[in-house]
Amino acid sequence: MGLVESSESDILMVHKPRIALFQCQWCLYSEVDQYWVDHKLPPSIHLTKLSCTGRINPLYILNAIQGGIDGVMISGCLPEKCHFKEGNLSALRQHDAFMNLLDYIGFDRDRMRFVWLDLQDLGRIQRELAEFEAFLIGLQPEKRLATRISSPVGGSND
Amino acid sequence: MTELRAKLRAEIEKLLNEQSIDVFLAFKHADSPLRPQPGFFRPGDSLEDLEYNYLCQNNLANYLPRFPVETRIGMVVRGCESRSVNALLVEKQHLRENLTLIGVPCQGIVDLRKLIERTGEDITAYSENQDTITIHFQGMEHVFVKEDVLHDSCLRCLHPNPVNVDILIGEPLPEGDTNLVREKVAAFQALSRDERYDWFRQEAERCIRCYACREACPMCYCTECFVDHNQPRWTESSISPAGTHAWHIIRAFHQAGRCTSCGACERACPMDIKMTYLTDKLNEDILEIYQFETGMDAETQPPFAAFNMDDKKRFVA
Repeated sequence: MGLVESSESDILMVHKPRIALFQCQWCLYSEVDQYWVDHKLPPSIHLTKLSCTGRINPLYILNAIQGGIDGVMISGCLPEKCHFKEGNLSALRQHDAFMNLLDYIGFDRDRMRFVWLDLQDLGRIQRELAEFEAFLIGLQPEKRLATRISSPVGGSND
Repeated sequence: MTELRAKLRAEIEKLLNEQSIDVFLAFKHADSPLRPQPGFFRPGDSLEDLEYNYLCQNNLANYLPRFPVETRIGMVVRGCESRSVNALLVEKQHLRENLTLIGVPCQGIVDLRKLIERTGEDITAYSENQDTITIHFQGMEHVFVKEDVLHDSCLRCLHPNPVNVDILIGEPLPEGDTNLVREKVAAFQALSRDERYDWFRQEAERCIRCYACREACPMCYCTECFVDHNQPRWTESSISPAGTHAWHIIRAFHQAGRCTSCGACERACPMDIKMTYLTDKLNEDILEIYQFETGMDAETQPPFAAFNMDDKKRFVA
């Protein structure tokens, strides 16, 4: 898998995109996948684990973008499989509208992606991240809205 | 307008004499002829000060959540105000049975900035007709066509007639043209990404973080706003680009499905920052995707509260 080693992109000296991964802690059914996400993520991917996608405040996404992230990926359970019954349904509508709003003021909507994971999707999170990274490499580095680059991603207590 | 004011005054007097309300929210004279201010009339108060004209800038629904729900409130509402009241009722900020709403079909709000732009600051007298505005400036009389000096939000107004009111004063007006808002949003969207971002930056970075837009907005009634939160601090509270961008984006987003496009935020802004292009876009999206218009009745839940499994078809590939 190109993502883990990413030797190809290092050799070619291309821009290595930084990805903020917001993960619902219940969405990865396979222990192997969860172990990979918890311990073996490449350093260019910043993991934020939450109890549900419904817990993601659009402010978190904006914070990541302002901190200079190139892409945002949200992984959650399928709508009918939410641990909190309907947390991800509320997330669906909100995040969709929020992405539309960011797109409206110039930030590329394609830099934000949802993955809805299901029981049989073994290894899908790795494939999706690799694909997303390849897609982001194809784009120019995003400067819009990245106004807080010096501060660490994920908010600061200044 | 004087006729309307007389009718309004008679209605309010009746309500206050009957003691069927505790307080009536309307407008009253202020020191400057250009700036009527919100007035709170209680039983026994004189109604001499009562004012109602094209210069009443505030959205009176703003004061509704500040009273306990037991307070019996009377209010004069225009189109957008009545929709704001409905949106607040949906969010259980007051009880409909404790409200007495006097509706007035709205002919628009005059933008003070447009008047001052055409003359100057020292306007000493103001009078109005159905279609014209007359002001005195440095001893001279200036007459303007009302349409030229109306606030932008009012020029695009869709529903000038109040909904869900108890008493209606005046004749209902024709509904507005839905294409005006759509054209405006489409025109902005047709610009390139860089142009859109530059426009956004230019507007947002003038912000001095006074939060007048928040205070003027009837839907911004949280006791603790996300920008005032300091453990953890979600956004920078300074006037850095990061702080102002976040404020403008998130403030607008919190209005999704709740904004009635009254334009009170823009009228309150001391820096003349345009904000309705953000909320108009959100309103357009909400209307297009969920066929929901804010405040048309006091029961329908806004889309962010009324999610269901049908969304799966729309969002999950």
